[in-house]
Amino acid sequence: MPIINYPAVIAEVTACCEAYELALVANDVAALEFFFWDSPLAIRFGTSEQLYGARAISAFRQNRVINFHNRRVLRFDLLALGSDTAVAMLEYEVEVAAGTRQGRQTQVWFRFPGIGWRITSAHVSLPLAIADPAFTQALASAKALGLEIAPDHRAGTLTNLARNAAITAPLLAFPLPDEIEPAPIFTP
Amino acid sequence: MTFDPVNSSALEIAAAVRERRTSARAVTEKLLARIEATQGRINAFTAITSGRALTEADTIDATVARGRDPGPLAGAPYAVKNIFDLAGVVTVAGSKINRDNPPATSDATAVSRLQAAGAVCLGALNMGEYAYDFTNENCHDGAVHNPRDLTRSAGGSSGGSAAAVAAGLVAVALGTDTNGSIRVPSSFSGIWGLKPTYGRLSRAGCFPFVASLDHIGPFARSVADLAAAYDVMQGPDPRDAACTLRPPNLAMSELNRDLAGVRIAVLGGYFENVGEPAVHAAVSNVAAALGASRRVELPAVECARAAAYVITAAEAGQLHLERLKTRAADFDPPIRDRLLAGALTPAASYLQAQRFRTWWRGQVQTIFQNVDVLLAPATPLTAPKLGQQSFLFAGREIPLRPNIGIFTQPITFLGLPVVAAPVQTAGALPAAVQLIGAPWSESILLRVARALEQAGVCTAPVASLAL
Repeated sequence: MPIINYPAVIAEVTACCEAYELALVANDVAALEFFFWDSPLAIRFGTSEQLYGARAISAFRQNRVINFHNRRVLRFDLLALGSDTAVAMLEYEVEVAAGTRQGRQTQVWFRFPGIGWRITSAHVSLPLAIADPAFTQALASAKALGLEIAPDHRAGTLTNLARNAAITAPLLAFPLPDEIEPAPIFTP
Repeated sequence: MTFDPVNSSALEIAAAVRERRTSARAVTEKLLARIEATQGRINAFTAITSGRALTEADTIDATVARGRDPGPLAGAPYAVKNIFDLAGVVTVAGSKINRDNPPATSDATAVSRLQAAGAVCLGALNMGEYAYDFTNENCHDGAVHNPRDLTRSAGGSSGGSAAAVAAGLVAVALGTDTNGSIRVPSSFSGIWGLKPTYGRLSRAGCFPFVASLDHIGPFARSVADLAAAYDVMQGPDPRDAACTLRPPNLAMSELNRDLAGVRIAVLGGYFENVGEPAVHAAVSNVAAALGASRRVELPAVECARAAAYVITAAEAGQLHLERLKTRAADFDPPIRDRLLAGALTPAASYLQAQRFRTWWRGQVQTIFQNVDVLLAPATPLTAPKLGQQSFLFAGREIPLRPNIGIFTQPITFLGLPVVAAPVQTAGALPAAVQLIGAPWSESILLRVARALEQAGVCTAPVASLAL
């Protein structure tokens, strides 16, 4: 039996991940709880929360209002390590108020004897640029102009926004007399 | 001995055509062949208008044969940045998106005026996409290679224009300058460039970029050619709202007047605190040749540069907003991201910049009461390698593209006229010095340029290309 990516393990955990994804899109809290290891040692890091233990994870899920109906998996990778452990890694995209948001999700699955496959540890994160609150604000401004900034274009846009802000800072701080009007171009 | 159009100026070619020492057709055919032979290495052209060129040349030759005046630029070969309309050619403005537009139905005003003066148009030239660029590494058309070192940038956004002149493919080229897009390529490619006063030359028939700051102007290898091209393009034009109603101020007749009474100073502070030693050595050489020992400082230059930056971002971002919504993936990536950020410029930043422009004009007007010409480097470095991302600046490594324009942006911001005067150094890359004047003082700047050319301090020979 190969130690890495044994086909039977891949098949079993892939099925679990697909079921988990359906539960997430449906926000089926009972199903989501079922897949997590019921132990104080289970840990889940979300995009903005750190949850230690199955109880904290459950409490978070019960109180969360989400709409993942348009969540889309962009890429799924599974690494099986031996017969009882697998690491699932995926990139996803979801529509939120500020527009399309991309994220990454990593889960460690373990096969418990007599119980089956459960998630022991998980981490969800947003790409650095998109996690920046300034960017969320920029996306909202863009939306007001009817401008949808594609995921691939966001990091570059954020870099330029930051550069513009840094270059403009001394200009904005420059004290101008009130009677100074904008330079005219229009000649009626 | 056969006439050599490659190393001749536009005016020398015009004289030879008028005196029948050569024909406009012979000149045109020779340069079309040279363009074909070098295009693979330099990539200056995006459209070669052979048919138009030969027709124009034959018209000139026929006019000469009839004993009529073919114009001051008879048979002089030129080409234009592909942001200018050429009838029958799609004005792509360096973009992929504009390729879907129909061909222009008429020439840009500047092109019509050069044609009326007898010049022959050989084609349209490579540029940075939508002119929002300083290195001309165009992802659709490929980078322009600097004829003085093919591994380096010719400058941008009018990179094809500068390269075509430096390589001896044309005698004169037209470019545009919003933040430095004539002066930066002049500096990197080692040729003369003129960015006239804002509103002096009509922009009609040019694809816009930043209405508040857009200028057009010529490149050449001689000051007389620069003056000749500038003179024939002057004059009001109702098609450009910013184009002045002032009568033309012809530079050619003044060109050889001496410089008695012309007060010249070096710009200090902001303009000499940073940059490579080579660009400051170029300023020192020019200052020494002109006997300019005075130093002048402008107030709050970094704010002027910032204001030019924000006006550019805001106006260009808004101009392209619809294309950003529908065709974002078709832009050159770094330019798209600049435009996306520009589209989100706060109104307060933009208006502060336009108000600052009014304030700063008053400050600079006062300075010009006591001086006529200010000297400053055109670029903080000589031509960078193609693909280069950063350079050493004030002892720190900083991103290249956003900082190439630090010396040119504050000047275009006020619409001041500038001649970019190229200083060549044996075994090193060229660097241009900005000769900056008060508004509407182009003829004084061209006189100073002519003096520098005659003294051998500023020259623009054809680059030696192994053909």
